[in-house]
Amino acid sequence: MNAQIIDPLQGDFPEVIEEYLEHGVMKCIAFNRRGTLLAAGCVDGSCVIWDFETRGIAKELRDKDSVAPITSVCWSKYGHRILVSAADKSLTLWDVVSGKKITRTILEQTSLLARLHPGSSTPSTCLVCPLSSAPMVVDLETGTTTVLPVTVPETVNEVAAPPRNKSSDATPHFTPTAACFNKRGDLVYVGNSKGEILIIDHNRSVEIQAVVPISTAAVIKNIAFSRNGMYLLTNSNDRIIRMYENLLPQRDGSITLQELVKTTDNHDVLEKLKVVGSKCLVLVREFQDTITKMHWKAPCFSGDGEWVIAGSASKGEHKIYIWDKAGYLIKILEGPKEALIDLAWHPIHPIVVSVSLAGFVYIWAKDYTENWSAFAPDFKELEENEEYVEREDEFDLMPETEKVKESGVNEDEEVDIVTVEKEDGFSDSDMSQEELCFLPAIPCPDEQQGKGGGSSSKLMESTHSESPVSEDAAMEGLAANNASSPHEGKLLLSSFRFLCNILFIGGVQRFYSHGTEIVRI
Amino acid sequence: MTSGGQQSAPLYKPYRLLKTLRDHERAVSCVKFSNDGNLLASASLDKTLILWSASNFSLLTRLVGHSEGVSDIAWSSDSHYICSASDDRTIRIWDARAPFDCLKILRGHSDYVFCVNFNPQSNLIVSGSFDETIRIWEVTTGKCAQVIKAHTQPVTSVHFNRDGSLIVSGSHDGTCKIWEAATGTCIMTLFSDRAAVSFAKFSPNGKFILTATLDSTLKLWNYKLGKFLKIYTGHTNKVYCVSSTFSVTNGKYIVSGSEDKCVYLWDLQQKTMIQKLEGHSDTVISVSCHPIANRIASAGLDGDRSIKIWVQDP
Repeated sequence: MNAQIIDPLQGDFPEVIEEYLEHGVMKCIAFNRRGTLLAAGCVDGSCVIWDFETRGIAKELRDKDSVAPITSVCWSKYGHRILVSAADKSLTLWDVVSGKKITRTILEQTSLLARLHPGSSTPSTCLVCPLSSAPMVVDLETGTTTVLPVTVPETVNEVAAPPRNKSSDATPHFTPTAACFNKRGDLVYVGNSKGEILIIDHNRSVEIQAVVPISTAAVIKNIAFSRNGMYLLTNSNDRIIRMYENLLPQRDGSITLQELVKTTDNHDVLEKLKVVGSKCLVLVREFQDTITKMHWKAPCFSGDGEWVIAGSASKGEHKIYIWDKAGYLIKILEGPKEALIDLAWHPIHPIVVSVSLAGFVYIWAKDYTENWSAFAPDFKELEENEEYVEREDEFDLMPETEKVKESGVNEDEEVDIVTVEKEDGFSDSDMSQEELCFLPAIPCPDEQQGKGGGSSSKLMESTHSESPVSEDAAMEGLAANNASSPHEGKLLLSSFRFLCNILFIGGVQRFYSHGTEIVRI
Repeated sequence: MTSGGQQSAPLYKPYRLLKTLRDHERAVSCVKFSNDGNLLASASLDKTLILWSASNFSLLTRLVGHSEGVSDIAWSSDSHYICSASDDRTIRIWDARAPFDCLKILRGHSDYVFCVNFNPQSNLIVSGSFDETIRIWEVTTGKCAQVIKAHTQPVTSVHFNRDGSLIVSGSHDGTCKIWEAATGTCIMTLFSDRAAVSFAKFSPNGKFILTATLDSTLKLWNYKLGKFLKIYTGHTNKVYCVSSTFSVTNGKYIVSGSEDKCVYLWDLQQKTMIQKLEGHSDTVISVSCHPIANRIASAGLDGDRSIKIWVQDP
């Protein structure tokens, strides 16, 4: 990317809340592949797509029929489609550019999690984790569902459960199981209530190919891969987040798995599966808070896989823990006192987005400090004061020595101004289908078009920015105007500061009226 | 005036004058071909913009609305919108399709707005002004997203890089600064011997910056190293903010206007001047290369008031 002149020594994780987004009450979020768009599912059944660059709403996917709260959102690989699951047991597939619904499937149960097949650009299959039954693979075009097995069959004779079209039967008290696709989508990793990770090849036979047991056999609540598919995270009821390394190759994972299954020889089915499993995943790290023994929520990797974050599941606090891959706790981010319900790390930048119970989406980013040496190339910033020792000949008068123009660069070298480097980090972007990175920005026409006049609010804006001091206040005032603060106290405080700044300059009448306008909102 | 004997490149075919467009009533300040190559837009001190067809150069429409002369224009990536920067301190966003309405007026600068550009995603507009600030505006809402107190003298040129993450700005204070678009922080400063920078833009792949300074020099910088790699001289540029551009459709050239009434073309690698296009009767203030065909449009100041189209014989 072009922005590699930024100092890489500062840790690449967010530190403070930069901004928050407000639109209705949002429940779940998902970034598209490049992190340029953020989809958020709301309580009123609509899905809002934010343009992450401008932090404005790019599109709203709304359907008159579905008004139930959204439980999960998922982008297709190249960002053309979004799958949304709602509390009225439905799954809706939307086309992003046109904003139209493609298909809508009603299942037997509400799904807590729905993930589109990540391998194909126009996916028609998705993985669904219903509220209280086994996860299944749903074909969105035909509506058929394939239930995935969640337990290894007890006896040797019994082969793994055959695919059924009906959902759960008389199995008593099913806790929701977690499931996810691997990077290519050919394998499904299921975490069941016995604390086992099951690897299932859903394309061939719907059979458990490998089992990786967790030592404490606690219920697995979340399971997720890193963006490059090399690491897997599980979050269990024993309050430990575990990180596994994926030993299967990215490209032919299922073929390699088949080979392993064939070559492993063991009479006991369960033992055989465990042996295969140990060749697929190996436990690398465990993350926990040994002091407070906190339950975790929504653990995920950073975009480059260097950091692991998880939110605290305790009510009434909005805490995000950041660990590095070696297992050291780097930082705890604390937000406003609202419980955290969803978390996502931006695919490229060190930005984290968290959703609070009140429905606000908080954007956490690095605290930017001015890099003073950027303003003059010969500035050098020092860490601490240094005693300056002059050179022997520093103040000597040298006759007619012009500073020799140092051309450290060969001026005759060929310069290439057109080829673009392939971006690392997106190694598997085949250009077969164009990726949807941005939704076209259409300027909303102004109501009035006067040459000098315009509507009164615009006049306010232009006069505000004339004096430099009021400019900052104008920004504050406008910011408070745009996104009304969640807390009454904050709103009044910012408008009060705004008024104070303005009063110093004069022109109280005009500006005061603008001030009251804010408070009214 | 061909320079023969390039080892591997084919013989250079000279550009010749195809057409002269004389519909502006005062100096033309800027010409730009649209990104899809269908339209040519021109801005003038007569307070209007004109849209021409790029195939037969007939006048399509005149966009009227500014109350003072227009200094700069820019096309959105999908060629649907044009934004124009004017001495009336506003920026207007126009629809480039019928009925060619003025969609938005962006107010906020406190002095002449001199230069303007869309980002590649075309959801942001960056503008530089005589009030020494750079402003970033949201296209959808028209709100000013950022104000950067960039320089100590008028900002003469602003440009986004290929992925929209960086902005380069040149100013009469002699510096060329690179800003991070998302946060507005300065990443780097390029000095050019204290000569005022009249123009700065990124190369098509975003790795190099071309700067024009008011000592009649064009420099191509590798901004990561902070050093310039190529110098192009031979033209005259001491007073006006003459714009220059890259021509990449048929061999790599640098094209620039000049105060000696000619358009200059240099070979990018060899730095030699390849051709001098004569015909204007005043300073050539702006040049633009068609994105697909081998065409150059050039604009002249008050003594000339025309736009000339140059083509390369096939």
